[in-house]
Amino acid sequence: MSNLLPLTLKVNGEEKTFLASPHASLLRVLRDNYYWDVKCGCEEGDCGTCTVLLDGKAVKSCITLAHNCAGHEVWTDKGLGYNDEITRMIQDAFVECGSIQCGFCTPGMIVAAKHYIDHGGIADRKEIRKAISGNLCRCTGYNKIVDAIYKVAVELGREVR
Amino acid sequence: MKNFEFIKAPDVKAALALLDKEKDHAYLVAGSTNAMVDIRAGKVNDRTLIGIRDIDALSGIKFSRGKITIGAGTTISEIANSALLAKKAPALFQAANDFADPTTRNSATIGGNIANASPAADTAPPLLALKAEVIIAKKGSKRRVPMEDFFLGVNKTVLEKDELILAVEFSANPHSAFYKVGLRNAMAISVVTAAASVRKDRDGKITDVAIALGSVAPKPVRAYNAEKAVLGKKLDDKVIADLMKAVAKDISPIDDVRASAEYRKDVAPVIVKRVLCKSCGICANEGGTK
Repeated sequence: MSNLLPLTLKVNGEEKTFLASPHASLLRVLRDNYYWDVKCGCEEGDCGTCTVLLDGKAVKSCITLAHNCAGHEVWTDKGLGYNDEITRMIQDAFVECGSIQCGFCTPGMIVAAKHYIDHGGIADRKEIRKAISGNLCRCTGYNKIVDAIYKVAVELGREVR
Repeated sequence: MKNFEFIKAPDVKAALALLDKEKDHAYLVAGSTNAMVDIRAGKVNDRTLIGIRDIDALSGIKFSRGKITIGAGTTISEIANSALLAKKAPALFQAANDFADPTTRNSATIGGNIANASPAADTAPPLLALKAEVIIAKKGSKRRVPMEDFFLGVNKTVLEKDELILAVEFSANPHSAFYKVGLRNAMAISVVTAAASVRKDRDGKITDVAIALGSVAPKPVRAYNAEKAVLGKKLDDKVIADLMKAVAKDISPIDDVRASAEYRKDVAPVIVKRVLCKSCGICANEGGTK
């Protein structure tokens, strides 16, 4: 049996030390410590429900080795929603545009959208579709999710295409 | 039962010392996009995971005197967003943009992609076509391996247990192109990929060419017969027809969940034509056989 090792991460702005197996994924460490807004879907990197920000970049936490992130900064959808204006705008837009049906893909979608907007994303439906192409949604058909991200880009005065 | 250790290597020297010490037990982990899947599936066990994600010296794209050097730890998204590579190595730039999806690209590294040696590795055909060299280190020594000698088979490379890829290096070539056929746009493991790079003289004659294919053999391969069909020639309908015919001799595809061998045999010549025409700056549908 693998031994548990201490792992210090900054999660949602707070420095935390967890105990985690040497091979644990970031997803498992987060969920084992009650960050339940990070969803576990396929657990092999295909569905994107577990997407979090690692040092400001969207990554799939299920295929991220937790101990490799020691000393780094992780933000989840919930933490971002309480602390980050852009994420709050995305969350509001998801509600207003009806982008949520079962809601399972939503936290990952919002983090992927946050990455897109943070990296200069514009109001271009094709580009938005590419940006969320690593996130699967089985309910909405994506149109309303794309609408929400498009709306935020417009509100932020980004180029409209 | 899963049985692992984890050690983070702060720099290249530490990583090489750990590899030297752990040898057979060592398992390098950078972006971990393949490693985590293999660990979860039980394909990898009883290893010491050596974390190299944070080694700055392994990451970055450098251009000097016509040569491009890409650190092994450079993420696919850095490559996909590099204005330098878009201009100087469009084949690799395009492959990075077709690689998995934007989120996975933020973690996956070019070194990891070739070390994993999947026959479908997206960066392999462009690196083969650009005639890249792999710069490999172990404790106390360094060596360079031409890309065409690097892969040995499915998930097999010339890398020894105690070796680390430092970088890949190649001469810039704006006349290079990449094309991928997958089952969907994102997260698609390729059905067939092809890359080409050419140099032409003033008359438009091809003086140097390299063509490579992925997912059509146990390892990513150079298409030597196809290259021979166009070397020293100007592209016209006849040369292109010869090129497409020659591709069959370069590949040995199999049936798998993504496509049949027969389909791959049909598609491979078409995308070889496309990448070659694109490398030469002509539209495949105008210059080629319809």
